[in-house]
Formats: sequence, structure tokens, C-alpha cells
Amino acid sequence: MMSWRTLVSRLAPLLACLGLLGIWQIGALILDTDSFPTAIDALRAVPSILTDKESLINILASLRRMAIGFGVGVGLSIPLGLMMGRSRAVASFFNPLLMITYPVPKAALMPIIMLWLGVGDLAKTLVIFLGVSLPVVFHSFQGARAVEEKMLWSGAAMGLSAGQRMLRIVLPSALPEILIGCRTGLVLALITMITSEMIARQSGAGNILFNALDMGQYDTVFAMIIIVGAMGIGLDAAFEQLRKRLVRWSEPRFDLPLSFS
Amino acid sequence: MIEISGVSQVFQTSGRQSHLALSNISLTIQDGAFVSILGPSGCGKSTLLYIVGGFVAPSQGTTRVKGKAITGPGPDRGPVFQEFALFPWKSVLGNVMYGPRQQGVSSAEAEAQSRQLIEMVGLKGFEHFYPKELSGGMKQRVALARTLAYHPAVLLMDEPFGALDAHTRTRLQNDLLNIWERDRKTVLFVTHSVEEAVFLSDKVVVMTRSPGRIKRIIDIDLPRPRRRAELLLDPHYQKYVVDIEGMIDDTSEDELHP
Ligand SMILES: Nc1ncnc2c1ncn2[C@@H]1O[C@H](COP(=O)(O)OP(=O)(O)O)[C@@H](O)[C@H]1O
Ligand SMILES: [Mg+2]
Repeated sequence: MMSWRTLVSRLAPLLACLGLLGIWQIGALILDTDSFPTAIDALRAVPSILTDKESLINILASLRRMAIGFGVGVGLSIPLGLMMGRSRAVASFFNPLLMITYPVPKAALMPIIMLWLGVGDLAKTLVIFLGVSLPVVFHSFQGARAVEEKMLWSGAAMGLSAGQRMLRIVLPSALPEILIGCRTGLVLALITMITSEMIARQSGAGNILFNALDMGQYDTVFAMIIIVGAMGIGLDAAFEQLRKRLVRWSEPRFDLPLSFS
Repeated sequence: MIEISGVSQVFQTSGRQSHLALSNISLTIQDGAFVSILGPSGCGKSTLLYIVGGFVAPSQGTTRVKGKAITGPGPDRGPVFQEFALFPWKSVLGNVMYGPRQQGVSSAEAEAQSRQLIEMVGLKGFEHFYPKELSGGMKQRVALARTLAYHPAVLLMDEPFGALDAHTRTRLQNDLLNIWERDRKTVLFVTHSVEEAVFLSDKVVVMTRSPGRIKRIIDIDLPRPRRRAELLLDPHYQKYVVDIEGMIDDTSEDELHP
């Protein structure tokens, strides 16, 4: 039997969505302008986008770039961050580089990257990669730095080599922190994905959105915002499920779910 | 046999100053002996243990185990830290199996041995608990089992029962003695409790206040196997405790006339 309390907490995200749509609907009816369609009109435009072959190809192309940018970003950033966290030499070598790139909006690099790499997949994937990398490096670094030294000593006494300690002690004990970085990275990947497509209009979900805007198809604009938003929420929720499963051993007993998972 | 000769340790502190933590320590520990190191907080007891463990290299002097110079940690010397240092992502069973698995013992055999050890330290039924789900005393039992699991010839224990309540502490002391009386490992045991040191040890090494030097080495000539209830009533035991307590108190005077 599900208790009343868990039922409410399960339904809360859904209620929040419905509430938001309701406010939108009422606001749009009151304002009554072309550039602000009602929630119902926008929702109605969603299926036509999702059944249009051209649009689907665009959205899938976006997702593919995002997946590659995220995957490569995470794959390189975790080892880098962990090594920075355990070695002063590695940290002081990479730190200046990261300090400089950290405050720069990655999308602002888009024009230069386009100049060098063209407007194709490579440039956009690279921007996504850059967007993902910094939070993942930072959190991996923090996680590796916080590893209890006695834990590494215990491993050393059992005969683990330095490499094995990195892989089998530093990595798992930093995992909760690493995954926090990855979660931020995932959302940033989505943001940089759309932004890159806004700048280099050629394909992708962002391309559909901004083309519709140019042509005054406001239903489509808002429908795309719903689609992209739902993608973000869905990805984040799926990632939270995965994260929770991976670090169940470290979770505090009571926590307020800050995701839709 | 563990031979510590002329070991000194200097630490660089953050204010660019150097701090002498250990000064000219020489000590020989026979195989199978239970030796306690006793001294006021900050006198370098942990540091000495870390040096024998090979976790910290001494600034001066040499350390040997079975005639071989210590150059780093090894499975012949198993540490049990005050901070437990369990692997939080591993269950109790996973923690205890870790060492044997690393040593190449097959999964099935490591599991069987580990379950036995877990039962021995009184944690049967908790095999699949994570460290965060255990109390301090239970964590320390797991830490002990995890170290015993890879059969180190020497146990290096750093105030293992220091953070526990009196009741748990007494039980773990008894358990440790039972285990030790069974397989006679060499034990180097750091504590700041005089009673604990006398109850457990063959030899008690009393250290001076910082910088740590060896002040006295006292042989504890009490019969074994030792039973707590009998020992507490034994005047010899009581005399050891009182004498050693006195030594710790007048440490600072003694420092002036070494
Ligand atoms: N890594 C370190 N860096 C600087 N000083 C240290 C370090 N480890 C220990 N010390 C100092 O050395 C002294 C002895 O420490 P420790 O061996 O932990 O003492 P005990 O275990 O007897 O309490 C203390 O004054 C402590 O501050
Ligand atoms: Mg200490």
C-alpha cells in the first residue's frame, strides 16, 4: 500500500507541471497576442513536430551531438580531475588553463570554433564537450582530493599499486561527487547544444526553434520549447535514477528529491 | 622481529617551521609479542606506527621487519586505524574480502574465509550492511576483520578502541585477546589508556611528551590467558597500572634529565 504521503510526493512534479501549464493558459488568454500562444495551442503543435520526418532527423542529430560531446567530455574529464586531485604537479599544470576557461561562456567561443572547424557537427560537438568538461573536472578534482588517506594506506597495505588505488579506491570513493558534476554537465550539454545550434543554424532542435521564430510560427516555437524542456527533465530524471543506484552506499537516509525521478 | 633503530621524524609545519615529532627511537619487537605504545596525545605514537607500516618514511634512522628494510606498506603488516578507514562503497563482506581477493585468493574461498572472520568478530548477519549503517564499534570490528583477512604477520593498531564507549571497548579488548592468544601475531598497539596497555600487553613502551622519546619499557609479567575479571583483582596488575600512570605524569620532569 502506498501511503498518502508518498502518493502526494510522487504526484507533486506532475501537479507542478499542470499548474504551470494552467498559469500559462490563463496568461495567454488574457494577453491574447500572436507571439504568446496558449498552452493548449503549443501542446497541440507538439505531435506534428514529433511526426515530421525532417524535424525528427534534426532532433536526433542534436541528441547524437549531445551524447558524443557528453560522453567524450565525461570520459576525459573524470581521469583528469582525479589525477589533479591526487597529484599536486598535475593540478598546478592544468589549473591555470581551467581558471581561464572556467568563466568564459562556451557558446561565446562558437564563432572562433566555426571559423576553424566549419558549421558542421565537429564544431557543435566541441562546444558541448567544453561545456560538459569543466563541472566534471571540478567535481572529480574535489572528490579525489577528499579521499581519506587512511583508506589509500589500507589499500596499499593489501598490496594495491598506485594505479590500482586510483582505479579501485579514489574512483569509487569520489564517485558521489563525480556524479554531481556529471549531472550538472548533462544539463549544460543540453544548454550548449541548443545555443550552438542557434549560432550555427544548419540542423538540430535549436535550428527548428529559431527558424520558426524567424517565420513567426509561434506555436512551433513554444512546442519546441516544451519538447526541449521535456528532454532536459527526462534526461535529468533518468540520470538521477542511475546516480542513485550507483551511490546508494553513500546516500543520506532522508533527502528531498530535487529531480523528477 | 621488528627492529626500529635511531628513528627520528621531523615535520614541516605550515608556518615554514620544523617540528620534531619523534626523537631517536630504538625498539625491538620479538615475533609474536604484544607490545603497546603509551604516551600523551601528540607524542608521536601514530607517527611511529605509520613508519613501521611504511606509510611514512622516517627523517632519520632505519626500520626492519624480519631483517628486511621497510621501504613501503606491505601485506605482512596490517594496519587498523582509529578512523576505521573502511571502504564505504563495499558491504561488510566486500570490505573483508578485499584483501584476500587482492592477494589472488579465489572468490569462493575468500568469501568463505571472510564469513568466518565476520562471525568471529561478532557480526554474523551484518554481511550485507554498508559501513554507514554500522555503529562505531561495529565498524572497528569490520576494520579488524578486514585486516586479519589477509593474514598479516604483524598487526599495527592505532588507538583502535579509542573512540568507543567503555562497554564496547571492554568487549573488543577481550575479543582481540582471544584472537591473539589463538594465532599469536606480533601486535604493535597504540593507546593512551594505561589499563588497556597493561591488560593486553607483554611489553609497554612509555613515551615522553613531544618530541616523542622512549622513556621506559616495562615487561608485563602477568599470566596468560588473561581474564579481565581475574586481572582487575590481581594486585600485580594494579601495581603495574599505578606505576605506569606515575611514569606518564612525571614525564615532563624526566625530560629535563634524560
Ligand atoms: N603530516 C604531518 N605534518 C605535520 N605535523 C604532523 C604530521 N603528522 C603528525 N604531526 C605532528 O607530529 C606530532 C605527533 O603526532 P602523532 O603521531 O599523531 O601523535 P599521537 O598519535 O601520539 O597523538 C604532533 O605534534 C602532530 O601535530
Ligand atoms: Mg595518534
